[in-house]
Amino acid sequence: MPLPQTVFCAQQIHIPPELPDILKQFTKAAIRTQPADVLQWSAGYFSALSRGDPLPVKDRIEMPVATQKTDTGLTQGLLKVLHKQCSHKEYVELADLEKKWKNLCLPVEKFRAILQLDPCEDKIEWIKFLALGCSTLGGSLITAMKNACEILTADPEGGPARIPFKSFAYIYQYLSGLDPELPAADTESYLATLKEKSESKKNGMIGLSDLFIPKRTI
Amino acid sequence: AAANTTMAAQERPLRRRSRAPSAGGRSHEPEVPLATRPSERPLGRKFLELPPLGGTPASPSCCAGGLASRPLAREPLPWSQHPCPWHYLHLSGSHASLAPTCFRAYLHRSRGGSTPDMAAVMTDSNPRAARASGTYTYTSRPRALPCQRRRYRDSLLQPAEEPSHYGNIMYDRRVIRGNTYALPTGQVPGQPDPLELQRQQQARRKALARKRAQEQLRPRTPEPVEGRKHVDVQTELYLEEIADRIVEVDMECQTDAFLNRPPTPLFIPAKTGKDVSTQILEGELFDFDLEVKPMLEVLLGKTIEQALLEVMEEEELANLRARQYVYEEIRNAELAEVQRLEEQERRHQEEKERRKQQQGEIVRKHHETSQKISARAFAQRYLADLIPAVFDSLRESGYFYDPIERDIEIGFLPWLMNEVEKTMEHSMVGRTVLDMLIREVVERRLNTYEHKDAQQSLKLEDGFSGPETMAEPSPTISQTQRPFLDRDYPQRTPHNTEKFMEEGEFL
Repeated sequence: MPLPQTVFCAQQIHIPPELPDILKQFTKAAIRTQPADVLQWSAGYFSALSRGDPLPVKDRIEMPVATQKTDTGLTQGLLKVLHKQCSHKEYVELADLEKKWKNLCLPVEKFRAILQLDPCEDKIEWIKFLALGCSTLGGSLITAMKNACEILTADPEGGPARIPFKSFAYIYQYLSGLDPELPAADTESYLATLKEKSESKKNGMIGLSDLFIPKRTI
Repeated sequence: AAANTTMAAQERPLRRRSRAPSAGGRSHEPEVPLATRPSERPLGRKFLELPPLGGTPASPSCCAGGLASRPLAREPLPWSQHPCPWHYLHLSGSHASLAPTCFRAYLHRSRGGSTPDMAAVMTDSNPRAARASGTYTYTSRPRALPCQRRRYRDSLLQPAEEPSHYGNIMYDRRVIRGNTYALPTGQVPGQPDPLELQRQQQARRKALARKRAQEQLRPRTPEPVEGRKHVDVQTELYLEEIADRIVEVDMECQTDAFLNRPPTPLFIPAKTGKDVSTQILEGELFDFDLEVKPMLEVLLGKTIEQALLEVMEEEELANLRARQYVYEEIRNAELAEVQRLEEQERRHQEEKERRKQQQGEIVRKHHETSQKISARAFAQRYLADLIPAVFDSLRESGYFYDPIERDIEIGFLPWLMNEVEKTMEHSMVGRTVLDMLIREVVERRLNTYEHKDAQQSLKLEDGFSGPETMAEPSPTISQTQRPFLDRDYPQRTPHNTEKFMEEGEFL
């Protein structure tokens, strides 16, 4: 409320009661997300807040490992944030995505580079973008799948990151399709074995444990 | 009656006076008896203070000693038939108001206002008790204990006080001990006769009086020296009348009970000081930025601090949880591994067991077979010569026979033997017959010989031809000779048998 005409003393200064709470949430989000450009990120935060969208906040603190020059700055946490923001829609607008990307203070070139892997016009399927992002995170296909599992899973952090077999298969096929070196037959056989495993568990989920062969054999 | 009344009138003031000091001490004794006392004989009354003083021979002069002088020779009052259980002295009815029955009676009287209430209670409770031996109450006004320790020298002027016994209810003889539902009839056994008690009391009183008298006799000041005399001397300048009475008037005062204290009026001090006014322009008093700074500092500082703390906490918790899950994952993986290994192990075990079992079977079978073989061999050997032995034994026992031979043996030979036997029997029979014939002949000849002794040669010749020509049956005597002869005959007889058979037939 506007200040009265004459304010005589400090006690008359009125602080809105919601303000401290908003400030606290904002501060916590900032601490957790650790944006490189606080201002930019804050703009994104508050616009998302005002619209009621999911906030570009990381769930866990992840110390930023990136510098602007050498690394992309894209981390699993950031991908998770993007996923949180965009997963409700199947297709995302590129412009929207770019804005979100920028809000996270990620370099735009990287964004373009990712898009170049699988060019498309206006919209892109979110899953595909996520898959591409995962692949840029890690070197090999398996690590990409691991990241994807961890991002997409509903299991608590640290637990068996399980995702439905269908999603897994889809992502795997998409990524292996993009990679020209990997023969299709291998993909198929691998997927078949995994499918057996998932069915044997009777829940149709693939977890991290399935991706890795146990080291010890008898 | 007139004499009584006059006497009563005379006694009345006396009594009144005597009662006055006690009236102050006892409130139980109102003036009722006095007021309501007409000149009627008090015998029928319950109040003890109505003594038939008209008939008393006691001297009314001395009040103090009055009681002491009152003899016991009163007749007991009618209600002594219903004796009070607490008072075994029933002379009390005759007494005046101060009618205590205890031996301290005179003391009570002498003390005036300080009569203890025991007497009052006793007298009071007496009617009650006389009415119906009901509840017993005892009250005694607190009184100062007499100090046992003498503070001052024994004053010769002061009369000796009888040492008052402190009343302990436990040792009060007036207190009934034991059952209270059955009244003791008449005297309480063990207690002395009331008359005796009274006598004792009197004796005590006399002793006291004597003692007092003796004290009085005790020299106070030394006797005057020869020729001198003690004289009381006045040392003051002026004579003072000592006996002056202060006029006393009793006044009473009473406040109004219902008036409340009115409230105190508010204190408004008088106004001091001067009134002054001033003018304030905008912005002079208050600078927003300046004022808001501390507030902002606090707000933001607290916010940030709080946010940081919360984030740290959440982070820590999330870390813990994540680690827990990771651990669980690892554990699950290990468990799965363990299970797999266990399964494998189990399978191996099973396989081993099966193989072992199989092997065991084989060995067993092998063993069995060898046993069978050995048994078979042994049996064979054992029974190898069984058949020949069997056949031999059978043959020996005659199971295998030549039928013709058998037939001959069975059929022919027995017949043959029979025939032979028959034939032999025939010959035997013939011989026997012959022997008989011979014997007979011989006997005849003997007879004839005996008849003809002379013919000895005839006899001899006849003896020889006898057996051939004549058949003598000599069954008895010459039987013994026959077997010898028979033996000789079997060679010669076969051709003779036919002849003898014929001869036998003739005989």
